[in-house]
Amino acid sequence: MALLVSEWGAMHAWAIATAAVVSAGCALVGTLLVVRRMSLVGDAISHAVLPGIVLAVLAGGRPGGVLVLVGAVAAGLLTVWLTQLLSTQGGLAEDAGTGVVFTTLFALGVVIVTAAASRIDLDPTCVLYGVLELVPFDTVEIAGVNVPRAMLTATVVFLLLASAAWLTWKTQVLTAFDPDAARAVGVPVGFVTTGLMAATALATVASFEAVGAILVVAMLVVPASAAELLVHRLHHMAFVAIALAVAGAVIGYMAAWYFNTSAAGMMAVVLGLEYLVAAVVAPDDGILSRVVRRLGLAWRVLCEDRLAAMWRAEEAAAIQPATASADAPASTTSQVRPRGFSQQLALRWLAFSGRIAAVNGGWKLLVQGREEAGVIVRSHRLWEAWLGRHADLPLDHLHPPAEWVEHHLGASVRNRIEADVGRQGSDPHGRTIPPESEVKAEVEA
Amino acid sequence: MIALPTIPYNTLVVAAGVAAVGFAAGVVGSLGVLRKRALVGDAAAHATLVGVAAAFLMTGRRDLPALLLGAFVAAVGSLGVLVLIRRVTRTRDDAATAIVLGVSFGLGITLVSGITARGIPGGAGLEQFLLGHTAALTASDAVLLAGVSAAAVLLLAIGLKEATLVAFDAAFAAASGWPVGMIDYALVTLVAVMVVVGLPAAGAVLVTALVVIPPVAARQWTDRVTTMLVLAGCFGLVAGLVGVGLSAAVPRLSTGPVVVLVASAIFVVSFFGSPSRGWLARWRRQRAVAQGWAEGRIIEAALHAMQASSSGYFTRQSIESRLGTAVAPGRSSTMASSRAWRGLLLRHAIEPAPASEASALANDSSQGISLWRLTEQGKAEAVERARRLALWGDVLAVASGDARAFLTIDLPPPEAVLDAARLHAIRAAAAASGS
Repeated sequence: MALLVSEWGAMHAWAIATAAVVSAGCALVGTLLVVRRMSLVGDAISHAVLPGIVLAVLAGGRPGGVLVLVGAVAAGLLTVWLTQLLSTQGGLAEDAGTGVVFTTLFALGVVIVTAAASRIDLDPTCVLYGVLELVPFDTVEIAGVNVPRAMLTATVVFLLLASAAWLTWKTQVLTAFDPDAARAVGVPVGFVTTGLMAATALATVASFEAVGAILVVAMLVVPASAAELLVHRLHHMAFVAIALAVAGAVIGYMAAWYFNTSAAGMMAVVLGLEYLVAAVVAPDDGILSRVVRRLGLAWRVLCEDRLAAMWRAEEAAAIQPATASADAPASTTSQVRPRGFSQQLALRWLAFSGRIAAVNGGWKLLVQGREEAGVIVRSHRLWEAWLGRHADLPLDHLHPPAEWVEHHLGASVRNRIEADVGRQGSDPHGRTIPPESEVKAEVEA
Repeated sequence: MIALPTIPYNTLVVAAGVAAVGFAAGVVGSLGVLRKRALVGDAAAHATLVGVAAAFLMTGRRDLPALLLGAFVAAVGSLGVLVLIRRVTRTRDDAATAIVLGVSFGLGITLVSGITARGIPGGAGLEQFLLGHTAALTASDAVLLAGVSAAAVLLLAIGLKEATLVAFDAAFAAASGWPVGMIDYALVTLVAVMVVVGLPAAGAVLVTALVVIPPVAARQWTDRVTTMLVLAGCFGLVAGLVGVGLSAAVPRLSTGPVVVLVASAIFVVSFFGSPSRGWLARWRRQRAVAQGWAEGRIIEAALHAMQASSSGYFTRQSIESRLGTAVAPGRSSTMASSRAWRGLLLRHAIEPAPASEASALANDSSQGISLWRLTEQGKAEAVERARRLALWGDVLAVASGDARAFLTIDLPPPEAVLDAARLHAIRAAAAASGS
């Protein structure tokens, strides 16, 4: 019984290992395809290797054997060559040419598979999504261990691809990001591109038994795209893509076993989920970090606007003491009565952080709050003065841009503007520009 | 009623339905191809499988209208995801298309395999949507497909002017106030509709071909949009009909690959054989130009040879040695020379020396080598060619690029393309610099 369980476990382990190696190879090639904007070329090649594989099998090649690898690479390169021929000789747009060539070659492959179904053990549905579950049953013995043949092929292909990438990495980077410079320093760009196409065909044919000819595009493009969102350097991207691909293979296989469905399909779904997670949590421009950054900015603007409004209310009260002298704090509070939940929240925070204090059921500025508010109002009025001087806008058009920019000016910019507009001390509306706050300026410096 | 009774009524109706789908796909696809959106439909096509499987799970029956409705929802949803990826991530368009295509197909495969593995009755037939299978269609299914196709063609006909404008000059359309984005969405949605109704005929994996190959083939024959639409429709129709016929006749053969291969065969014929853009026609035109050039070079050399020799005759060997390998650059020179010689003889620009004179001259020419001379027509041609060459030489030496632009390899008369005053000035300048 124990033997049975362990054998059963070994079967799954082999299948998972094969899936992982296959995915890793695809992710490595896919990294270059994605940064070179050739994802759809990868899609086309992965479809079009089918007739190459089928003809090689008909000619006596074993699935995963050298003959089949050669046939697949030939078919892949044929696709690229035909597409180029259609575009140079027939004036077809690249995408239309691709659409014609790969559908035709794939259809050809399916027809041959159907016609020769009795002579070869390939099945149209296996062509479409692979038979990862059956991989452990077709083994060869190496050093006393029964290794699945697909695993052997996948490992050899992966080592081949990885060493090629290792040896030519600098060239690949240069060709991907600046082909003109690459050409100028003598890199045979066309040859490098052809090599990448051949590598795509190799990665595809190695994955063929495991995931079929169509899901390969997910293995090629999805981990690389997710990695591209997460990191910025190409070799980091390659490593992350490989890690994501391996994780996708392992999780996908287990989920497929749990839900009793196609392992290859589930691997593609898991990769899709990984991409989704990457798009959400990517550190620099993931959805989450952008939302956080925007919320942070909105919060800062909200708080600063409250402070500035209170500062202006104080200023108005000081200028017109007749109306305000009786109960200055009350007048201050009446002008800054918060409307809505978010402003209420901002005021609570300002009070909590010691910038304002509650007075008579309203609010009044404390020293630190007044300093900061003064800086905001200063920025606002300096900007209005600068616009009034240089932009030739009517007076009532000065406020909106200043309202926006007041939150983004630093001390040095403020002082330069002041030097430019002169220290006349008032904005175009005739209101006083408050002096630079010593405390705040020091903090910013 | 001679051959018809052998074909069952149902097969006839299905064939008509698939033919209608092929026609509409060709028409709608034409604008997609012209707008350079040929592969957008591919992502939607692979996503349809999810919709088919989900609709089957919800209804529990393999009911074509419901499955196709699910497929349509999934197709439009996948296009929505595509737009979303473009908007909120920095993933580029090509990768976004590949991601949507690969992941949605994986999800579809997962659902279909799950359904099959659980042995839900009727679920096994879902795999037919991968590569297309029309044998199971009923007459009412075919009527539905034909109806949707007709509606799609009608909608396109209504918006044809706008769609054409956007396809050929989107920037101009936007500047003229057309809602380019809306027109694009409408066009892509129509393509998605055709991809969905094309599913039974061509399957999720290959249905893209139905909206790409017939339009690309039709483009080879014409430069007019309406002609292209009709031609593409007819090509799609033929592909659909033959596909249904063949797959009905051959057991286990899916419809999709056959439809695609018939369409590609039409494309290959168009690519090589079309009279204007075809490869063969262009090859012929190129050869005619090379031939004209070679003939011109020969009569030019012949004129020199006649003037140099006392007798006024020349041999072919003397001409060829005079020209060296330059008869027609880049070609086998003896072959080009023979062809040019034959051409000149046929249009009576050269002729063999009359027998009487040839024998009189026999002692000063080698035995067995025939003598030739230019006819009056040939002489005139050679003189005119020399005149044009000299004049163009002046133009090239003096004039700026705009005058040069008129010079082509078939050597038009400079008077025909440059006005007299201009030409006069050029000749004067050339004469001045030459002296």
